Amino acid sequence: MTTALTFAVPKGRILDEALPVMARAGVVPESAFNDKGNRALSFATEDGAMRIIRVRAFDVATFVAFGAAHAGIVGSDVIEEFNYSELYAPVDLDIGHCRLSVAEPKDASVYSPGNASHLRVATKYPNLTSRWFERQGIQAECVKLNGAMELAPSLGLSLRIVDLVSSGRTLADNGLVETDVIMPVSARLIVNRAALKTDARVAQLVERFRALSESEAA
Amino acid sequence: MTDPAADLLPEGLEDRLPQSTAAVARIERAVLGVLDAHGYDRVRPPLIEFMQSMARRMDGVKTRHLFRFVDPKSLRTLALRSDMTVQVGRIAATGLANASRPLRLCYAGQVVKIAGSQLDPRRENLQLGAELIGSDSVAAAAEIVELAIASLEAAGATGISVDFTLPDLVDTLAVQEFPLTPEQVVAVRRELDAKDAGGLKEAGGEAYLPLLYASGPFDEAIEKLAGIDTVGVLASRIEGLRQIAHRVSGRARLTLDPSERHGFEYQSWFGFTLYADGVRGTLGRGGTYSIGGTDEAATGFSLYPEELVEAVKAEEPRQNTVFLPLGHDPAAGAKLRAEGWRTVAALSEADDPARLGCSHRLEGTAPVAI
Repeated sequence: MTTALTFAVPKGRILDEALPVMARAGVVPESAFNDKGNRALSFATEDGAMRIIRVRAFDVATFVAFGAAHAGIVGSDVIEEFNYSELYAPVDLDIGHCRLSVAEPKDASVYSPGNASHLRVATKYPNLTSRWFERQGIQAECVKLNGAMELAPSLGLSLRIVDLVSSGRTLADNGLVETDVIMPVSARLIVNRAALKTDARVAQLVERFRALSESEAA
Repeated sequence: MTDPAADLLPEGLEDRLPQSTAAVARIERAVLGVLDAHGYDRVRPPLIEFMQSMARRMDGVKTRHLFRFVDPKSLRTLALRSDMTVQVGRIAATGLANASRPLRLCYAGQVVKIAGSQLDPRRENLQLGAELIGSDSVAAAAEIVELAIASLEAAGATGISVDFTLPDLVDTLAVQEFPLTPEQVVAVRRELDAKDAGGLKEAGGEAYLPLLYASGPFDEAIEKLAGIDTVGVLASRIEGLRQIAHRVSGRARLTLDPSERHGFEYQSWFGFTLYADGVRGTLGRGGTYSIGGTDEAATGFSLYPEELVEAVKAEEPRQNTVFLPLGHDPAAGAKLRAEGWRTVAALSEADDPARLGCSHRLEGTAPVAI
């Protein structure tokens, strides 16, 4: 049990908000982490007790689910998309707030005799999307895109999209309106199930983040 | 010319070659030896059964995960077994219905499921286990936990860790202490499963939040759980857990996670998960349950040692093997085999002992190291 704990953080949106929270929980990456020119993917913490890896948000969940990383920070959208049984999300960090929504063109045709039983939807979240539509009794055919979902309706790729919405500006700029909110999203501390059960340091890490989130809620 | 794609194995299936097979065989033999020594009789149910009969024995068996096909004879749906526990339940309810209780049975065999997942792509697994039928008492649970630990020790697992849980906890608390509607019970259980604090609040289970944090090393966690249980509906369960923990203390690292439900779909008041150092994911699980159809109480555990095999197969020791040259004394070979040696007999002068994996060579009547 002498190997360093590995902590996975996502590139992009959540990271800027996550770093101060991590710092308060005592997880401070070495200075090279903030050096834009540095192409390394793995960094030590200042106290040398942990290793921090910076990967894509979806890969944070995968690294942690497989136990390749012990813990990490990722949005609840990603957690829901994979629905990995080996993943725990014991602390809501109350950062990175947005929502996952269904959107369609503002001037969508009103011709609607009854309810659709089959729809094509462009999204980065095919599993979550098909599960949500399934619950409405609709078989959703998901077209997996990695970005720029907002283009799909205007170019006839799909009538609807499912994507993250924070201010709604991007949707409006592309002539789309939000029709349903699938889920509110916030960043969570995630840990690997087996690691939490077998490595006391993981439990201590969860405890530090939890104490932090509770003191802030108070 | 051979086409490498012509012999491709389907996803999630693999050939075990000699070294890893040696590890599997050693583990299987060791575990079955421990179970037999503790008075558990081995049974061998068939690989294929009527789907309906497997499905009715236990809630946890999801028929959509079974390999199914129509029996050309009876025209009923057949399924390949995905969990031998249900088959042992059937045996206890039928063939051994009149055997005296408690009935101790054990089993070992391959089980399959129709699809793997990204996390667990394996579609075929070895399952080893024991069932104590006729009791789900604290004494029965303690015997099974102790037996599971002894089995893992014999299999060569180190750093064994046992995580206790109370599978019916939410149902018990939802009645009175922290009331929930039936729909909420499902949602709250799901979020407790994922230990999702944010999701739990949204599902209306805020009162259950302390349960998320009443997990950890057994002694601390059980105190926290006792603190949550102000009304005392859990008192007998907490006392039971303490007795089980006492019985196996020192043999394994013990933790408690009262709200854990992963893989405990059919367990009743008590469940446990087994972990070991260097083994990815869980090694096995067990607990108390009732056999579908007869509602007879039972306690048992199952091990799925494939990941343990992956962890140890590279270091699996090769047994000493002695090369018997052409024209050797057959009696000397037989004597060595009786002493536990493996022998490899030459077929022609061209046979090279080292290339055939031999560590020794028979000279006269004695093995000489190569």
